[in-house]
Amino acid sequence: MIRRNPWLYYGRKALAFLLSVLVLSAAAFYIARLAPGDPLVSYYGDRVERMRPDERARAEEKLGLNAPIHVQYVRWLRGALQGDFGISYKYKTDVLEVIGGRVGNTLILGGVGFVLIFGLSLGLGLFCAWNEGRWADRIVCRLGTVTSCIPEFWLSLVLILIFAVNLRWLPSGGAYSVGGTGGVGDRALHLILPMTVTVLGHLWYYAYMIRNKLLEEARAEYVLLAKAKGLSRRRVLFKHCLRNVMPAYLSIMAISVPHILGGTYIVETVFSYPGIGTLSYESARYQDYNLLMVLCILSGVVVILFNMIAQIINERIDPRMRDAEIVETTEVTGVGE
Amino acid sequence: MDEILLDVRGLTHRFRLNRRAVVRAVDGVSFQIRRGEVFGLVGESGSGKSTVARCVMNVYRPTSGQILYKGVNVCDPRQFRANRAMLQTTRQIIFQDSTSSLNQRMSVADIIAEPMAIHHIRPKRGTLRDEARFQLKYVGMDASYLDKYPSELSGGMRQRVAIARALSMEPELLVADEPIASLDVSIQAQIINLFRHLQEEHGFTFLFIAHDLSVVRYLCDRVGVMVAGKLVEVAPTAELFDNPLHPYTKALLSAIPIPDPRRERARTPYAFDPARFERDGELVEAAPGHLVLRKGGGAE
Amino acid sequence: MNGRQTEGKNNSPALLEVSNLSVSFDTPQGELQAVRGVSFALREGEVLALVGESGCGKSVLCKAVMKLLNRNARVKSGSVKVDGMDITNYRERDMERLRGKLFSMVLQDPMTSLNPTIPVGEQITEAVRVHEPKLSRAAVRARVLELMRLVGIEDPESRYRLYPHNFSGGMRQRSVLAIALASRPRMLFADEPTTALDVTIQAQILDLLREVQRKLGTATLLVSHDLGVVARVADRVAVMYAGRIVETGTAEEIFYDPRHPYTWGLLRSLPAWAEPGQPLYTIPGMPPTLIDPPRGDAFACRNKYALAIDYEEAPPMFEITPTHLAATWLCDPRAPKIAPPVGGEARG
Repeated sequence: MIRRNPWLYYGRKALAFLLSVLVLSAAAFYIARLAPGDPLVSYYGDRVERMRPDERARAEEKLGLNAPIHVQYVRWLRGALQGDFGISYKYKTDVLEVIGGRVGNTLILGGVGFVLIFGLSLGLGLFCAWNEGRWADRIVCRLGTVTSCIPEFWLSLVLILIFAVNLRWLPSGGAYSVGGTGGVGDRALHLILPMTVTVLGHLWYYAYMIRNKLLEEARAEYVLLAKAKGLSRRRVLFKHCLRNVMPAYLSIMAISVPHILGGTYIVETVFSYPGIGTLSYESARYQDYNLLMVLCILSGVVVILFNMIAQIINERIDPRMRDAEIVETTEVTGVGE
Repeated sequence: MDEILLDVRGLTHRFRLNRRAVVRAVDGVSFQIRRGEVFGLVGESGSGKSTVARCVMNVYRPTSGQILYKGVNVCDPRQFRANRAMLQTTRQIIFQDSTSSLNQRMSVADIIAEPMAIHHIRPKRGTLRDEARFQLKYVGMDASYLDKYPSELSGGMRQRVAIARALSMEPELLVADEPIASLDVSIQAQIINLFRHLQEEHGFTFLFIAHDLSVVRYLCDRVGVMVAGKLVEVAPTAELFDNPLHPYTKALLSAIPIPDPRRERARTPYAFDPARFERDGELVEAAPGHLVLRKGGGAE
Repeated sequence: MNGRQTEGKNNSPALLEVSNLSVSFDTPQGELQAVRGVSFALREGEVLALVGESGCGKSVLCKAVMKLLNRNARVKSGSVKVDGMDITNYRERDMERLRGKLFSMVLQDPMTSLNPTIPVGEQITEAVRVHEPKLSRAAVRARVLELMRLVGIEDPESRYRLYPHNFSGGMRQRSVLAIALASRPRMLFADEPTTALDVTIQAQILDLLREVQRKLGTATLLVSHDLGVVARVADRVAVMYAGRIVETGTAEEIFYDPRHPYTWGLLRSLPAWAEPGQPLYTIPGMPPTLIDPPRGDAFACRNKYALAIDYEEAPPMFEITPTHLAATWLCDPRAPKIAPPVGGEARG
């Protein structure tokens, strides 16, 4: 048996990861600075308009904006490696502190949303596969296709109109009531609408994938043999088919994490939910460079990390992939005959 | 019959699986095919017989060894480039699975004429379509099939189209890689007859790769037996079937099912233990024209 | 077709009795009549081979009996009796109880018929557990190891945890056989069990089938296109053409004294029967499409001995001996006598 050296394997993965983050940071840094706009506005507010040129130069120097971009980048990188990501121009505090105050909200929205999507799409997919071709399956398929086509921002607005403006059952935005205590009930109430939009936006895509993969598996020969040995349809579907669909599903779900997160950014903005999404939007809008950089890298890290996790899941979970080398050698020498 | 058309010398092809594991798919294989003969290469799955065919057709580049086709070493890039047109037109291959080897979106006429169009050969019979009609007739199909698509044809018909396409270049060497394995018994017979007709009446030279020994026995002039990448025995067909020398050949021959209940039930297959297979050794001439792999190259 | 052929003079009772079974598929082109009024019987402890070319309906027949057909298939008529008990109208839940216990199946390609992500031992275990859920863990394991030994898997303890891809083709097919035999079925349907295997392995698997069948007395329905395979293991043979059984008899009768022109054609087109230097015999033409099958004898247009009546009326099963029946008008006493072009022994 030939086994890969795990240190080498993960070492190489980590190296690729760091390299990607470095490239990402440089790209984000340059693009942000080349974009039109005045970063001083976010720091000094309206005062900028009344500044004299020499005051302006001093202000730029104070924020380190006068040097060429590559020098600025090296400076930023040196600071970042020591854990100093600079201050937010808008909030005048350490960037990490600003983000720390918001990240929890996004994690609640995105995390719970992800778990819901994961579970519901599995259940819905199984339900449809079980009822393949019957009316239940057909109705769910039609409904699913329609909901997955509705843009999130539009759905958000419609839901706000119905439930917040007309019916007044639910709050229209924010994470908790103004001046409220932020108790669990209050927060949950504020989460209902954004959560609904996040889940509905992604649910059917994954449920439909599960359904079709299951049906594809159900046509495989081993299913015929499993039925021939007397297994019930339920057991064949749940044990045999589901098991073979899971690796693909898990890796797709891992890739979906950044996707769902990206969806929450839009949802957050529409619902003015104080999370990373709204913060990113603001930082880009106000040229809050330091904040933007960290948010960019944070999102990038999530994307890269989960793609890698997906890849590792794919390689680990399927026994054929796990010992791909052994397969080949066995085939050739015909071990065991 | 004595001109050697294809001379394979010490052909070795290794597939690298990863940094440590290498599979010797073909290991030091040498044989010659004379002009106008049908040379059969038999072996079980994974024996390397298809890899040999692909090396001969320049699909794979062998790790070492030479393949001389009409005196040109096709493995040598310089010689290959110098003779590219000749090599690509006079050698043709037919695959097992005609469903995947024919483009589903091309009509039969286009499939057959495509090689001629690619090589800018002026059709002898006027237009490319006439040429396609002629080739189709040659393999026993009439002109009504010209505008059909592969999906509208049966397996046997598709295989005929694949043969017609190969014949359109007027090749000298036809490599057939398991051309009948996926066909039904009665269709198999038709294709075998077609091959036989092509060889007898038109003098084509064949490298015929197969695992069905009763077909090989019927069709081939000489047979080479491969196991685990090694060529273990080469002999004229009758000689090989009457007097197999290598233990693997004996096992293979004894495994041919006979469509006759009394004799089939009395037959005990000769067991061959792959674990004890001796890879080393070289081909020695045990009888005139009958080569067998023996250790040390000496007598028994 | 009438039920006459199901009787015969063999004394053992019929375990499986299929009469006048018709199966159709709904296709975009129309109704495809895959099986058209087939009747046969499988007796306790015998091996019956169903022979025919692809598309003749032999695999569909097997699946129809086990009710494992896809949704687009319909059983149009006929009945299936097991031990005299009619299971034609059984529902899925009732069939689940029978599958594995009463009849079981071995498929053509062992690579695709095993679940690639479950270890082989576990797949056999599952088959043992289905019908004996109360068995203790140790007893199940002992039974699995016993099954693995029965089908010739050496050193089962260490192979128990291996995955299908760790096995060679022959070992995989042995594992499939172990699964099929797990609940001691009384009937085994083997659908082209050796087609995907190498020649040298083929004989081993066939002999194993035969040996298991003798040891356990399992009645076997072998579906094959390969007459060599059939010659090795079959007690009786049924030849199928275009959805019908055209000839049935003992292996000796079919190979040495065939009566149907299609059987003649099949046997004559084998290279093993060919005269050296002569072209192989080929059956002219193509099998008919079963979407709109021809009237009368479906083989008539490919049959040079065809009589006028062949194009009008499908022939009934004529009895040649009590075990040997053939559906061809040539067996009618009024038909001209024709010396069969084949029969006797193969060379080689």
